[in-house]
Amino acid sequence: MIEIRDTVIEYGSGTRTVLAVDRISLSVEPGHSLALIGPSGCGKTTLLFAIAGLVRPRGGEITISGEPVVGPRREIALILQNAGLLPWKTVWQNANLSLRLSKEYPQKSAASVLEELGLASVKGRFPPELSEGMKRRVGIARALSMSPSVMLMDEPLASLDTLTKERIQDLFLQLWLQRRFSLLLVTHDIEEAAFLGQRIAVLSERPAQIKTVVENPGVGDLQYRSTEAFVGVVARLREELER
Amino acid sequence: MSERIRMKRFGKILRERPYVWHVLRYLAAIAILLLIWWGASEIVEHVKGRAFLPNPLRAIGEMKRLGPTLFRNFWVSALRLWSAMWIAFWLGYPLGLLIGHERKLDQLISPMIYIIYPIPQVAFILILFLIFGLGNPVKVAIVASALFFQILVSARGAAKQIELEHVTSVLAAGASRWQVYWHVVLPATLPSILTSLRVSVGLGMAFLYIAETTGAFDPRRGGLGSFIDSNIYSGAQAFAGIMAMALLGLLLYILIELLERVACRWKHVSRRPS
Repeated sequence: MIEIRDTVIEYGSGTRTVLAVDRISLSVEPGHSLALIGPSGCGKTTLLFAIAGLVRPRGGEITISGEPVVGPRREIALILQNAGLLPWKTVWQNANLSLRLSKEYPQKSAASVLEELGLASVKGRFPPELSEGMKRRVGIARALSMSPSVMLMDEPLASLDTLTKERIQDLFLQLWLQRRFSLLLVTHDIEEAAFLGQRIAVLSERPAQIKTVVENPGVGDLQYRSTEAFVGVVARLREELER
Repeated sequence: MSERIRMKRFGKILRERPYVWHVLRYLAAIAILLLIWWGASEIVEHVKGRAFLPNPLRAIGEMKRLGPTLFRNFWVSALRLWSAMWIAFWLGYPLGLLIGHERKLDQLISPMIYIIYPIPQVAFILILFLIFGLGNPVKVAIVASALFFQILVSARGAAKQIELEHVTSVLAAGASRWQVYWHVVLPATLPSILTSLRVSVGLGMAFLYIAETTGAFDPRRGGLGSFIDSNIYSGAQAFAGIMAMALLGLLLYILIELLERVACRWKHVSRRPS
């Protein structure tokens, strides 16, 4: 369970502080998914970083499984915009990085996850040698290697072409259905939010506040994109964002 | 016909082994430089009526004749330069990364560095002689002190260029401060530090020459600098020493380049067009 209560986040220091997030309250039940959608620069990434324990909120409280977040935690995985791969590490080293940092490697490894994501044959390659879609999958492999109970994603599929994007969205959905982690997705892509978020919180311009939360019970079906319900949710989100 | 086949085969060798092409280019460069030198020495002789600039063939002849002596001095210089470079590397690199990455430390230390940086280290040469005495340590110290600042400044710059995303991604995975250095700061900056080390071969050479020619009272000075210095009036011999210095520079250059290729393999993979 992720619980965010009256969270206020500022960045900058001294007199030049900027209010990024203004009293947001949200919660995600275990195994459920929530998408945060809002205009670029509205503070949604800052909120996600606070949940990941990378940014300290100025007010309010964030708890995961009942414990306040004070720093990065083993059970929380974060997937960054460009997958956050280190170009000087091979696919294998990148996928095992989280395990290595927590000193669980080599007792545990990402071997089976790499296999599952079809990356076993490129283990020895470096990120610049991979296609964009493959890079994202390596990022996913790194996150999954820790078997997290909470998955945080920050615009994970920005700058991908539509087909690759949809293919990886399908992959996210399947992984989420199989593993039932709590998923919190930050995006500015309306269709992505509608495809993956059981609930979708629409945020305002900075400082981020919740405009509305759209319920989206149809999530979980790979064919969801071609249903009327999906089209309805997309239209509703567009309306809310423009309002 | 057979000529064309041979050319084709040669082209194939070049494509499959790019280093062959590299070596050929260097050989061609050496040949052209010798030719220019030869031309210049002819012109000087013609204008001045005397061979002040010895012709390359004579210098090469001297290199052969003085072989063992020259080689001994070459070796002395090579060891001095090589050790000075690594001392500068191991001191300047970590310190540069630290001040480049830790903002508070940067604010404290950087002004000091920029005050000291422009002072030519040669100004301290007498003090260095007094501290380190004669012999090898002082010469290594002179060269190392010059290179230290070079490496320090470029390490600081490189550490400031690190992409925040890379740091964020390891922090999110729970990295400690030390792990951030080991997994991000160090590998991200290594290519540019090795480049700066390679570029500083030239600077190191200049300081080595100064170090080896200063202190004529030093009975153990040795090295190519002192070899050139003591043969300065017998043109061809001095030029044999100068050529040995050029060779030393080139060898160090190649050595560091190879090191970079091994240590930063990821920089040299074929990139996929995005």
